[in-house]
Amino acid sequence: MRVTFFLSLLFLALTAGCSDAPQEESVLQQDYASLEKAARGTEVRWHMWGGSAQINQWVDTYVAGEMKRLYDINVVRVPMDAPVFVNKLLTEKAANKNTGTMDLLWINGENFKNSMQAGVLFGPFTDRLPNFAAWYDPQKAAHDFGYPVDGFEAPYGRAQFVFEFDTARTATPPADMAELAEWIKANPGRFTYPQPPDFTGSAFLRQIFYATTGGHEQYMDGINPELYAKNAPQTFAWLSDIKPYLWQEGRTYPKDAAALDTLFARGEIDMGMSYHPAHAQMKILEKTYPDTVRTFVLAEGAIFNTHFTAIPFNAPNKAGAMVLANFLMSPEAQLSKFRPENWGDLHALEVQKLDVAQREAFDAVDLGEATLDAGTLSAVAVPEIPSEYLELLERDWDKFILGH
Amino acid sequence: MRRNVILGLAPLLLPYCALFCAGLTLTLAQSMGLFLPLGPGEATLEYYQALTRDQGLGLSLRLSLFVAFFSAAGSVLGGTVLALALWRMPPGLRRVGVVSKIGLILPHVAVAFLVLLMLSQTGLVSSALFQLGLISTPEEFPNILHTGSGLGMILAFLLKGVPFALLLIGAVLFGFDIRLIQTARMLGAGPLRTFWSVTLPRLLPAMHSAFIILFLYAFGSFDIPFVLGESHPGMLSIRVFDIFFHRDLSQRPQAMAILTVMFVFAAVFAMLYNRFAAYMDAWRRKL
Amino acid sequence: MRHAPTMLVLAFLFLLPVLVLILQAGAPGWRYPELWPELGLDGVRFLATRPGPFLTALTGSLGYSLATVVLTLSMTILPAKALAYSSFRGKTLLEGLLLLPALVPAMTFSMGLHFIFIKIGLADTAPGVILVLSMISYPYMLRALTTGYTLMGREYEICARNLGASKWRVFLEVELPQLLPAMAAGGSVVFLVAFSEYFLVFLIGGGSVASFTGYLFPLITSSNRGLGALVTLVFLAVPIALFIVLELGLYRYHRKRRMR
Repeated sequence: MRVTFFLSLLFLALTAGCSDAPQEESVLQQDYASLEKAARGTEVRWHMWGGSAQINQWVDTYVAGEMKRLYDINVVRVPMDAPVFVNKLLTEKAANKNTGTMDLLWINGENFKNSMQAGVLFGPFTDRLPNFAAWYDPQKAAHDFGYPVDGFEAPYGRAQFVFEFDTARTATPPADMAELAEWIKANPGRFTYPQPPDFTGSAFLRQIFYATTGGHEQYMDGINPELYAKNAPQTFAWLSDIKPYLWQEGRTYPKDAAALDTLFARGEIDMGMSYHPAHAQMKILEKTYPDTVRTFVLAEGAIFNTHFTAIPFNAPNKAGAMVLANFLMSPEAQLSKFRPENWGDLHALEVQKLDVAQREAFDAVDLGEATLDAGTLSAVAVPEIPSEYLELLERDWDKFILGH
Repeated sequence: MRRNVILGLAPLLLPYCALFCAGLTLTLAQSMGLFLPLGPGEATLEYYQALTRDQGLGLSLRLSLFVAFFSAAGSVLGGTVLALALWRMPPGLRRVGVVSKIGLILPHVAVAFLVLLMLSQTGLVSSALFQLGLISTPEEFPNILHTGSGLGMILAFLLKGVPFALLLIGAVLFGFDIRLIQTARMLGAGPLRTFWSVTLPRLLPAMHSAFIILFLYAFGSFDIPFVLGESHPGMLSIRVFDIFFHRDLSQRPQAMAILTVMFVFAAVFAMLYNRFAAYMDAWRRKL
Repeated sequence: MRHAPTMLVLAFLFLLPVLVLILQAGAPGWRYPELWPELGLDGVRFLATRPGPFLTALTGSLGYSLATVVLTLSMTILPAKALAYSSFRGKTLLEGLLLLPALVPAMTFSMGLHFIFIKIGLADTAPGVILVLSMISYPYMLRALTTGYTLMGREYEICARNLGASKWRVFLEVELPQLLPAMAAGGSVVFLVAFSEYFLVFLIGGGSVASFTGYLFPLITSSNRGLGALVTLVFLAVPIALFIVLELGLYRYHRKRRMR
């Protein structure tokens, strides 16, 4: 008797609860002013990577405070890695859960592509946002790792890959790939990179891929499996070559960028890396890094990307999420984010479109001794790869480097 | 079974079935390709067959068992020794044992964090040895956290496990009738013999419980391996987490199959271990 | 002193870590091979500038942990009595089965349960988190209460019933006072299990249920170790404060009863 009861309960559990009414699409028909009105007094749950106390603090203080003051919206930051919330969305979609719990996501790259392919994002919505129309170049935010954005993501910031070193320990950093390999071999145990698919580790992998296979241009037209099969072995040969000279002889890797930062901060390795050019400066201000730390780029190029915000298909408060996405694109928020004591993330807007006072405010931001100047960075800037390549690289890294 | 007994047990049996059994059933069903997020499929055992082909999985299993065994055995041993040492103290002084509660309260992540702070090659212990002039570079400090054998994780589990074992074993020991020992000593038994034939048998049940609980906890836990685990091989729980959250939905049955195997192992282990303990007990009594 | 080695071991295992945490909390940039870092109050200032999320996380954890204690207590109080006072066929097996949720890896059933919870709307809610935490922690409460009932024996209950007291009255005035120590012991363990759980709250709560472990976890794995250590210390202080309150409360309660 108990068994039948239990089975019927399970059956109930699996069939019930799919009765939520589909979200009406009227949010996209409304003009922005009425969206703002509708969002007043609501709560927006923003899911984002939570590994940096400084970024968290910026969201919790500046963003939450301004959103409350300007729009009477409560912003709740929820720390969660991007692959995890994408997975959660996929599960919810499959389970027909039409009212979710996430309102806004901080997302880009393969996570965006996977979400788009599974149809779990809401939009297109960026054309409804006044700040996007006013300050941004739609052309620059049209692709995310080669995947068309189509208005499903609002640009939020820009980042570029840099290496970090401590002048007290290393006099001159390597200038190009060959010198980097030399340096690694001359300083065994003092270099490593986060384990892909960590965001930063994966970016390092792409840096090497570009540098060892003759530049980024050939990859820009989408995935070409033959090209990949021809070129990838050179990348993995390079990585295998340096592996014995890595920290822990390459048997193990820091599991994410934060773990790498810790090793660098403690002095267990002599070189760090980050996908944020001002990251080192932020860490100096936070007193985690000594103030002798500086950054450098390699002559072969330094990948840059744009990162975005997006809204899940089942976000309970889409109006509020759009207001927040719009606010994050405002010159004020971009300026605040740009200051290294807050975060130091590069702004994604077009400075020429701003008025003089605003432009001067941006120019006046001191990114600090440790950050390279804009000229140096843009001279070596190379675009991100289509995310299909990225997935292949990460898969093959597992196969050829880890555990070999 | 009488009616009122069933009624009395109902408040527990209902949620037990609705949550625990239902959760397990779904894990099992999904491992066979049924009731998946992507829709109900056909029952299949292919995911279990895939498990047997996965060599990395064997390494993970070995690591999980290794870590679980040494952390549980070490904890029980350490807890027993500490309990005996405290027991020999005068009751007033015995209260210092209360500091062990710190280990109970600290969450597993925090303990892992402490191990990282103290024992990495540039950690505090290494710094202390450097200051004492015993080592001259961090590389000379033994590489505890990255041996590939889970030593760092074991140490973290010990820091949580020793106070737990101390709690269980101390509860028996401190409530122990001291006259029993005195009688044994009066009858001419030496201290070792008194321990062996009077004290230890009374402690064994608590030691066994502590061992089972700690072993299975370490076997399936997530927090400590997540912080201290190495890239290769990973603990079973981390593999499940990776498949569950970092791969696409089509691989989910794989994660569920590993979980099912872990459950069966844990349940069978608990049962066999109990049998074994009872058997050993009977055998020792005969001696 | 004979007992010095024991004291040393205890201090080394349990007090040294606290000292290290305190030092680290004051020194985010503690580097090799310094033994005594330069101390500052940056971490405290950092938290004090906007304590909102920190306090939300703390109250969230306290809330669902205490609710778990209450739920496990109400789930097990009758079954514990039934298990303590009656014998029936298969009792040992049943007892063994009832212990399983605390023994087997929690992942094994919670990942299946998560999908059911999504379907019935319990995923991402505090009730869902409380239910799943109760599942992994009730065996401790059950054990404590069963032992409590066994130690108490039935005599008082039978005697009071014979004197004409109602069931409720017997429970409130005879059983409850004697069971209090067992409840406190079981409750403390349940509280600790719930309060320090990270994975299940993360899985079932989905980030919507604020939790202290969820707040702590990214900090501990970040490179700002000062902040991680500081928040860990708070983590240590809260249960200790609660246990002191509990001990004092029990002590005063018993003294009052004795005075009556």
